[in-house]
Amino acid sequence: MLPKTTKKTLPKIVSALALCASVAVCAGSARADSNIAGKKVIFVPISMGITLTEAWARGMKQHAAIYGYNVDVRDAHFNTGAMSELLAKAISDKPDVLVVHNPTVQLLARQIKQAESEGIKVLQINLQSNQPSTAFVGANWERIGREIAEDIVKECGKGSGKSGEVAIIPGQLTAADSVIMNEAAFKVFAAHPEIKVVSNQASDWEPEKARQITATVLQQHPNLCAIFGHWDVHTMGAGKAVKDAHLEDKVIVYATGGGDDKTCQAVEDKILDRVWSYDADGQGRDAGTVIDILLQGGVAADHTMLKIESPMKIIKAGPTYSPNLCFKL
Amino acid sequence: MSASTVSLKAGRARRNGSLLEYVVIAVIVALVLLFSIFVPGFATLGNLRVIASNSAALVILSCGMGMVIISRGLDLSLIATMVAGATVFALASGAGFSWPLALAVALLAVGAIGFINGWLIAYVEIAAMLATLASAMVVTGFFRYVVLGGEYLLLLPNTNPAVLFFSGDIVPGLSAPVALMIVALLLTGILLRYTTFGRITYAMGDNFQAARLTGLPVRTTTLAIYIYAAVMALLAGLVTSASSGTVDFRTVTNGTLLFEVILVVVLGGIPLRGGRGGMRNIFVGAALIAVLRNGMTLVDLTTQTQDVLKGLVLIIAIATDNYFNPRDTETDTVGDL
Repeated sequence: MLPKTTKKTLPKIVSALALCASVAVCAGSARADSNIAGKKVIFVPISMGITLTEAWARGMKQHAAIYGYNVDVRDAHFNTGAMSELLAKAISDKPDVLVVHNPTVQLLARQIKQAESEGIKVLQINLQSNQPSTAFVGANWERIGREIAEDIVKECGKGSGKSGEVAIIPGQLTAADSVIMNEAAFKVFAAHPEIKVVSNQASDWEPEKARQITATVLQQHPNLCAIFGHWDVHTMGAGKAVKDAHLEDKVIVYATGGGDDKTCQAVEDKILDRVWSYDADGQGRDAGTVIDILLQGGVAADHTMLKIESPMKIIKAGPTYSPNLCFKL
Repeated sequence: MSASTVSLKAGRARRNGSLLEYVVIAVIVALVLLFSIFVPGFATLGNLRVIASNSAALVILSCGMGMVIISRGLDLSLIATMVAGATVFALASGAGFSWPLALAVALLAVGAIGFINGWLIAYVEIAAMLATLASAMVVTGFFRYVVLGGEYLLLLPNTNPAVLFFSGDIVPGLSAPVALMIVALLLTGILLRYTTFGRITYAMGDNFQAARLTGLPVRTTTLAIYIYAAVMALLAGLVTSASSGTVDFRTVTNGTLLFEVILVVVLGGIPLRGGRGGMRNIFVGAALIAVLRNGMTLVDLTTQTQDVLKGLVLIIAIATDNYFNPRDTETDTVGDL
């Protein structure tokens, strides 16, 4: 356990470890002397094959290579049933750290509790369960939901001369990010009655479904002012519908995402207008750093959840835009 | 059983099949009236265009599935083939192939999938449901891991020829996806109704063993049917990928599109035991699903609620189908579902 000054020293440890990691990575295959070599980390993502999880796995594996521990990835292939089974198997394998990517706030809560009670430290990445655990690395969804909603109010609210009509396209209504962002956004909209949410339908993370929903909603609400998509990948389908309706200069398409090069391309192509990026590449490094700390015995002093919030980048066309805001795997 | 009794029974079944179709048409009319009165923005020309455009891929897929089901088969690999075909086209055009060459390569790829499906069913004599379920898994796994290196999504650039073609109108007011949907409906209808191939397809669905014993080329026809379904899947894949700008393998693993295709065919009045139905049935089934989906989106029902309602509609349709076209010793033969 870390001393009482954890809150002050932890950021320094994190920075120092991050610096060590970056120096080691830059230097090639340099390896740190440590007593965590040979330890076992299991990562259970919702699915590999998307830049988000690939970037996280890459970051974790870079750290594992430095310290000589193992990261084993168990891919659930977007199958929540398989994910529960994979997690049960992972718990029975007794890893030192278990990294979990929660598809919903409730699905894996019981298993996270079970793992923690068996002494396995659970790091939740980007999507948080209702069940707290040793650590969380990821975006602050409340902040993203609030900031995007405030931007929508500025662009579509009183004095803007626009309709105030907004369509929201979550991934799944029970997904952690969608639940928190919707809650935060509706809190902002509640104080601005001129903003009307005309549609709030999940796309199941599929671009084609998002396109069909948007094409239909645009017919009913030709003066739609903004679309708030909860993930850049599926929101690209919505952006495509806006473009097909020749409304790209009228409807602002907001999204959130990991900020890879395809996001920047979508902004350049006017498919997406404003993307709140949580920088998946940076999150991979943060996750690697936290795993290093957990394997060395670090936990929050009061045994609450150790939280590392991802810094945000806002990617939008204009003078602040640069393709360097995005990363490439 | 005398010939006149069999003929009487067949006639009754045909009338009953039509009855289901009329029931569905009545439901469509009721829904259209209901939505027009209570849902603002439903009864507009623009919304009609959206309904047609959103249904294009579904109808094209249903043309392929309809033909397969009429022959008393089932193709569960249709969506996997659709995404695989779109992937091949996207990769080939991305590699600098001209669009006709990219299309030819994609046609060869999906043709091979259809051929293997047909061969497994006609020559190895594996039940259609099992053969196509297995091939769907092989195709999805192969394309995801070998072709795309584990990726789920392929984002298409704006310069992709399919994106360019399907974003435009053939003539003012008639978009390319809708035009392709009409062509698919007409072509499938003509093939089924006016060609020997079509008549053999109906004969196979009506009584496969009788068709075989009378010397009809049921094996080569099965090959042709599954290849045709695969080609329809490719066309639907081009429409879908071009309209959303992505090729998305989650459509196969997580999506409800296959469910919707079967829903369209059954709702339209093509019985799962084959031998009856045509493109009018596909049109009626697709119209119900399209109107229902559009109306539910306009009234802002959640996706989950929409799935529940669509599921209920399918159960009612299958139960009604079972009631009007009951299984008996005449229709319940080897290879039946």
